[in-house]
Amino acid sequence: MYTINDEQVDYILDDIRRHGIGIEDLQQNLLDHICILVEENLEENGDFEKFYASVIPSFYRQEMREIEEEALFLLRFKAPYLVLSRNQFFGLLFAVFIGPFIWYALNSLATNSMMTIGYECIPVETWLATLVLALHPLLILVVLFFTPEQMEPLIPRGARVLLGIRPFVRILPATGALAETGPFAETL
Amino acid sequence: MNYSSELIKGTLKTIVLKLLADNKKMYGYEITQRVKELTLDKIQITEGALYPTLHALEADGFVTTEVEFIGKRVRKYYSLSPTGKAKTKEKVKELANFMDTMTSLLDIKPKLA
Repeated sequence: MYTINDEQVDYILDDIRRHGIGIEDLQQNLLDHICILVEENLEENGDFEKFYASVIPSFYRQEMREIEEEALFLLRFKAPYLVLSRNQFFGLLFAVFIGPFIWYALNSLATNSMMTIGYECIPVETWLATLVLALHPLLILVVLFFTPEQMEPLIPRGARVLLGIRPFVRILPATGALAETGPFAETL
Repeated sequence: MNYSSELIKGTLKTIVLKLLADNKKMYGYEITQRVKELTLDKIQITEGALYPTLHALEADGFVTTEVEFIGKRVRKYYSLSPTGKAKTKEKVKELANFMDTMTSLLDIKPKLA
């Protein structure tokens, strides 16, 4: 029986990540599965890399990332989760932060339009509140929106945002690779 | 005879839940081997189907997990949560009912006169 060493464990994990598996749970499960396959099927003095290269293609049809996409696809239909694309998520945050202020400003404009047209009709306090409470979060959101996914502190790649006791909002990767219908019906 | 992937995919959740109900706690590779053994190799669950399903079951709260460290790697054991136990009964019952329906639907009955 072959005994896998730490270096080979790292090699496999790196390879799994390189093949597009970003969900840690899947990474660990696949790593353990591959390690068992190697240990049970490779002879004591066998060629690890050769064996590994021959085993890996059996895990997917075209690319390993299918496994993660299938997992995300299954999660898409899970109540009570609200599954949003990255753009939808930021769109929602923009609306929540900015919406009330835009509404107030438009309302003020409408009610004062008979007398004056323009921003003079909006009280200074409103502009200050907008600046502090809306524009500052907006600036943060804009920065986050343009931050590369891999470096994003708020939404790690392929992960979810925790709101409340358990996650109820899941953010899909920006690649948008998921189709509405089951794209990997033939994965088995 | 191996069954088609469509058939297996539709029943995979039920298979996994029932195995966990019967075996208390299992890890991924163990599940694939147990299925092979119980079905005399007729059903071979692939990693590409099993792990997304386990991930979804965990997200649903039907299974709980515990990890065991084996050197640098982690082995994740799955077991049924209380809601998972109830769900297993429901899924097995549903599948049994479905099989009955399919049996009567596909059974070729002799025409009467």
